[in-house]
Amino acid sequence: MSRALSSALWRGVGFFIVLELMLVPALLYWPDFEKHIGKFRAMAPLPVMRNIIDTLETGGVFAYVTGQHFFKGCNTLGVAAAVLLSVGAVAGEAQRGTLEIWLARPVSRARLLTERYVQGALALCLPVFATTLTIPPILQQVGQHLDYGPLMWSALHTNLLLLAIYSVGFFCSTLSRSPLSIAFALLFFTILQFAIYLVEKATQWSLFRLTDVERFLEIQGRGGLDPKLALPMLGVSLALYGASLHAFARRTP
Amino acid sequence: MLEGGEGRIAVRGVTRRFGEKLALAPLDLEVGPGGVTGLLGPNGSGKTTFLRILIGLTRPDAGEVSVDGAALRGDGLEIRERCSYSPGEIAMYGELKGAEHLDWLLRGRDAQARARARDYAKRFELPLERRVHAYSHGMKRQLLFSAALAPQVRVRILDEPSEGLDPTKRGVLIEMLREDAARGTTILLSSHHLGEVDRACERFVFIHAGKVIASESAESVAARARRVLRVSFAPRAGLGEALQRAAAQLEPHARSVSTRESELVIELRGDDPRPALAEFAKLAALGAPRAIEFGRASLQELYRDLYGVEAC
Repeated sequence: MSRALSSALWRGVGFFIVLELMLVPALLYWPDFEKHIGKFRAMAPLPVMRNIIDTLETGGVFAYVTGQHFFKGCNTLGVAAAVLLSVGAVAGEAQRGTLEIWLARPVSRARLLTERYVQGALALCLPVFATTLTIPPILQQVGQHLDYGPLMWSALHTNLLLLAIYSVGFFCSTLSRSPLSIAFALLFFTILQFAIYLVEKATQWSLFRLTDVERFLEIQGRGGLDPKLALPMLGVSLALYGASLHAFARRTP
Repeated sequence: MLEGGEGRIAVRGVTRRFGEKLALAPLDLEVGPGGVTGLLGPNGSGKTTFLRILIGLTRPDAGEVSVDGAALRGDGLEIRERCSYSPGEIAMYGELKGAEHLDWLLRGRDAQARARARDYAKRFELPLERRVHAYSHGMKRQLLFSAALAPQVRVRILDEPSEGLDPTKRGVLIEMLREDAARGTTILLSSHHLGEVDRACERFVFIHAGKVIASESAESVAARARRVLRVSFAPRAGLGEALQRAAAQLEPHARSVSTRESELVIELRGDDPRPALAEFAKLAALGAPRAIEFGRASLQELYRDLYGVEAC
């Protein structure tokens, strides 16, 4: 197994474990949450948070699950994973000084970069799908039932946003020698996006409106992805992957 | 279209600029087929940039490159498939074991390359079962060299292969280079230190400030070294001007005459220094020399004396 593949595999396993560790207690807490939802609404300090709780109440267990797993878990840990998996892809090699030996082998640059992009993308996306698959059996422990269909569509939708963020980090990595600088810049940007989400008058400008509970309820209602949201996210990823290939072809060790 | 052939490296009009700095002036060079050629020059002279351009790691701003009959196109994959390369900078994956790192370096090579690389590493007595982070600088250099020597290719491009090696390991490396060259391989190796490579090379290409300033066979270089007459004087006021006048007078009797600080350096036309010394004796204004040296110039001294390049 190649060095990079092995590294991506272990990171993916780590991401899966952390996501699952967040997911299991959250799902098992559903009966208590449902019982005390009024108290939670009273405690919520911001109108946006009260709106979220209202949405969870009307949306039932599906809204609660997607809120816990996709909106909370994947938008926080997933974004961090997207950043960590992407920023070192090329910039890490440059910083270590190993870019020269990486490029000097008789393998095309397009292939090297594609392998690395795919390895990171799989390490990011597969754990989201895998943890989502564990939701129905865990929910059975608290007497609830959810179909796999809407959950897996929601996982795909979340992954499209994570992949777009991953692609931004990956593209920056092909241009830079400092993975840490890219990581700080991206994490600052995403934290800012979360902050904007919580401001009632600015919330519609937040990136995370794309993956909040209302979007997942729409997916449940449609029985699939909304092309108006999914295609632009996929387009951003493809465009940034293409730009990365272009930049990497001209990269000097 | 540049004419290149099997086992040949051909370069025409290659230039490269990094911002304001001109790293390579228009550079022309032909190497091979076969033999060990030393690319020599001080640090920052453009050797590494040139070698990286040869295998497609750095794009030239202009010019043509052909290695083993393949022209440099795109990312240079076709060339990298036809030659092996050992980088000058030592940066490796410390978490890999020596054997694993060899395998990683040899991705895309012929099936037997890994076994050959292990054999070369054994000749260096490298502990392939140990992780690379435990390797010394010289051991990492040997591992890279073993990987570069293993593929069955007609051309090898080696950037500072002997840098950081102790004399014993350098001897092993030179022996391996000679064996490889005896099989008909074309080897272009760079060094900023002539003494490290002069035993291995059949030809020297001297590069300075991105330009080839000399390209000669080792025999020719050695013959020129034997014909250098160096006359030095005690420093005194007005010596510089006197040396310049003397150089002008001696010019017709020598292949070249140059002055350095308090020295007059004369490259003779033949092996007999007496005609030049007879002319020199007529130059009373110079006074008595402090020392006269003949036929003992090292390669470093030769290049310094003939081309005014110090750091070699």
